[in-house]
Amino acid sequence: MRDEATRSKPPGMLEMERKYDVELVAVTKRYGSTVAVDCVSLRIPKASYTCLLGPSGCGKTSTLRMIAGHEGISDGDLLINDRNVTDLPPSARGTAMMFQNYALFPHLTCLDNVAFGPKMRGTAKAERHEMASQMLDLVQMADFAGRYPAQLSGGQQQRIALARALIMKPRVLLLDEPLSALDPFLRVKMREELKRLQRELAISFVHVTHAQDEAMALADLMVVMNGGRIVQAGTPRDIFERPTNAFVARFIGGHNVLPVDDGLVAVRADHCRLGPASMSQGLRGRISHIEYQGPHVRVSLAMPSGLEAAALIPDGEFHEHPVAPGEERSLVWQAEKAHGVAA
Amino acid sequence: MATMRASDDSGSAMMRHDETAVVTARARPGNGRRTGSTRVWLVSWAQVGPLALVLLLMFVLPAFLFVVVSFFDYDRIGVYPAFMLENYREVLTSSATLRVYLSSFKFAAIVWAITLLLGFNIAYFLIFHVRSATLRTVFFILCALPFFTSAIIRTIAWIPFLGRNGAFNQFIMGTGLTSQPLDFLLFSDFSVVVAYVHLYTLLMIGPIANSLSKIDKSVIEAAWDAGASRWQIMSNVVIPLSKTGIALGSVLVTTQVMGDFFVVRQMSGGQSASIVSALSNEIQSMQYPPAAANAVLLVIIVALMVACMMRIVDVRKELLK
Amino acid sequence: MAIEPVRSNPIDSRPWTFYVLGALFFAFLAFLYGPMFVIYVLSFQGPEGGVTFPMVGVSLEWFRDIARKGQMANIPPAFGRSMALAALVSMLTVFMSVAGAMAFRRRFPGAGLIFYVVIASLVMPSLLVGFGIGLSFQFLGLQPSLFTSALGAQLTWTLPFGLLAMFAVINRFNRAWEEAATDLGATPFQRLRYVTLPILLPGILGVAISAFTLSYDEYARTTLTIGSHNTLPLEIYALISSATSPTLFAIGTLTTLVSLGLIVLAVTFVWQMDRQRHARRGNEVEAPGDA
Repeated sequence: MRDEATRSKPPGMLEMERKYDVELVAVTKRYGSTVAVDCVSLRIPKASYTCLLGPSGCGKTSTLRMIAGHEGISDGDLLINDRNVTDLPPSARGTAMMFQNYALFPHLTCLDNVAFGPKMRGTAKAERHEMASQMLDLVQMADFAGRYPAQLSGGQQQRIALARALIMKPRVLLLDEPLSALDPFLRVKMREELKRLQRELAISFVHVTHAQDEAMALADLMVVMNGGRIVQAGTPRDIFERPTNAFVARFIGGHNVLPVDDGLVAVRADHCRLGPASMSQGLRGRISHIEYQGPHVRVSLAMPSGLEAAALIPDGEFHEHPVAPGEERSLVWQAEKAHGVAA
Repeated sequence: MATMRASDDSGSAMMRHDETAVVTARARPGNGRRTGSTRVWLVSWAQVGPLALVLLLMFVLPAFLFVVVSFFDYDRIGVYPAFMLENYREVLTSSATLRVYLSSFKFAAIVWAITLLLGFNIAYFLIFHVRSATLRTVFFILCALPFFTSAIIRTIAWIPFLGRNGAFNQFIMGTGLTSQPLDFLLFSDFSVVVAYVHLYTLLMIGPIANSLSKIDKSVIEAAWDAGASRWQIMSNVVIPLSKTGIALGSVLVTTQVMGDFFVVRQMSGGQSASIVSALSNEIQSMQYPPAAANAVLLVIIVALMVACMMRIVDVRKELLK
Repeated sequence: MAIEPVRSNPIDSRPWTFYVLGALFFAFLAFLYGPMFVIYVLSFQGPEGGVTFPMVGVSLEWFRDIARKGQMANIPPAFGRSMALAALVSMLTVFMSVAGAMAFRRRFPGAGLIFYVVIASLVMPSLLVGFGIGLSFQFLGLQPSLFTSALGAQLTWTLPFGLLAMFAVINRFNRAWEEAATDLGATPFQRLRYVTLPILLPGILGVAISAFTLSYDEYARTTLTIGSHNTLPLEIYALISSATSPTLFAIGTLTTLVSLGLIVLAVTFVWQMDRQRHARRGNEVEAPGDA
């Protein structure tokens, strides 16, 4: 057993050996007869940014809450920092959670909100206010110390929630769809902040989202989930370049899943082009939509089989040979860019 | 259809583009804002009008009247308009007044403490521990149902229950806990308090449950995540956030006790009097001015108590949030 | 890594406080209903029995006694008056509280004053309110009567309750629904009738039932304002002061049945409405916490 092995090694070696901040071992979550998370195993490397990505109901939030300790684990084990924490309460795990709606205490000022954790542990007032002030500096909210949550905007509330979680010096910070309530510009800005913080603090972040662009931008490890299982896990580039099945290819966006002679392939939309309808290779269809996206133009094709596909064409190229809806064209791609996927 | 206006004093016209019509913003008339909100106020006044009128006629004016009457003169025959402070002097210097007020304060304090403790815990149980909404509604109805039976009958029912030959004594003698019936159960301070708690605990449960239900559950989770123990969550999160409910419940219970005349009379077997029962005696004998003076005194004291309790929280803001 | 057997996780199972509070709750219910059961049982007291235990036989004597015109009290007409008054009070309270609560959805001059008058009316000792009204009528040379002074007195009690209850209901009402209705072309009246009121209906029903029972049991405010013909609670009080007989308990049992009947009716109605609105297709199971 692991405990035996680690106990016999000198302490110094333990630190070097520890590779994973969080380990899920065949973790299952059942609500009555429904299985929300089905035998999930995952290893999250030290000080990494992990994103759990998937559609509604895929089990990503349940998984996060199990790591946090706010949901019980029906089956399996959870290790954090090499300790089996399966039965421990949230405060004993070395995790801290940032809630989706921030869950700031409405009756406390921002400073008191952030100082809450230390207060619960019995830290003296002066000391914990000092700690809280430092945290507020870290998230650039020092001026708001005396304000109440109701007086803050969404983005500001989020920073306070972040400070409140980080003051606990967690090993792992858990974020439950932190950016979904923000407007697009703020989202991008906060994304950068989160990544910067994670690097600076050198702890692990586990971030749940249903937005793939967010996951791709932030993650060192991206975990795509569906139906309570992990469908694919890897670096964003891995997943984007080589989706293992049709679901991942479709969910990750920017891919076409196309039938060829012996199965399905996924081809990136930006690797697809339009050819004349008479071409023997490729797939013929009628142009249904043209969407100008700035640097690219997205051209959607509807095939006679009912399949829809899209080509993402650089805008200069498109405007040299523009097309219009209703025209017949073929979707073409280079063979080496196609990637076989399971159904 | 939108009209197209060339750039003019309106200040924000747009240019035509191809054939599409555009909408321009027309300048508001100078007093636009004022007219708009006055109309809205009129609606509110019309809506609250009937209620306000009834309260004015049936509450405010009569209250005003008995303030006036409290200064009147009287004798065995009738009441004479006057302005004298004699009634107040009598009321304020009488030892009976002091005694009866102290008694009422005592009961109010005890009953407040018990109903608060009971009411808070029950409200907490119903809101946080009962998971099924159906069950919660059922439980609420069970708690509320007795409230809808006449208070008089409910109070009287304690007599056969607590009396020397009553159900409770027969029960504990039957099970061998005591050999003698317990005497203090009825016609004592104990029975008065029991009756009050029986009648008024719901007045605590209701407002507190309302406050508790407004607490965002994720806030409690966040506290737990930050390492708060169960008791810390109660004292740092739950109780502060239920202050409104506690204040409102406290107001309702204490004012009911201070204004009661029936329970004390029945349950103490005539040993204690209450402020209002003394008052009703005076009313029966048509001594309106001293009754009025007594009434004014009671109102002032109750108003002070309520004001204190409501300063703790801005009840109006909380209720209308 | 070996998989360990399923264990009951502390988060899903109940903490010890659940059992303690649960026990407290049921003890409270026993406390609440104890005297009530005394009433119910003693109402079946035998003809020779008195108002305390022991039971001397079982009979419906005291229920029959209710219908008889007694020396001290005449129940049936008083009951009729109580019902009529309660119905009227209920309707007026609903109308005025709903309208009043709607008024408070926006800020208007005088809102604060009216609110404090409402609270004052709620906490003012009941007898004093009655006293004030009785006195006013006397000074104005008017005769107090059921549908004038008594009605007014009871309204000072039910209106604050109704208003506060409607505040709680309206708080949970989403303005966006009304905006959507307006957007779809509804006039303010249509909006009220087809959107606002139907959605508020459960709360309104609650206020109606509460007002009815508050009126029907009301004693202190009514006693000085009733004039010469009593409502039921006043008759009961007369019964108590003169001689106590189990008739009292029979009345208590009956009135409880009436209240219970009303509440069951209302709850069933609301439940049906709710079921209709939440009808699901197939079995969607909600797993908490999943986005």
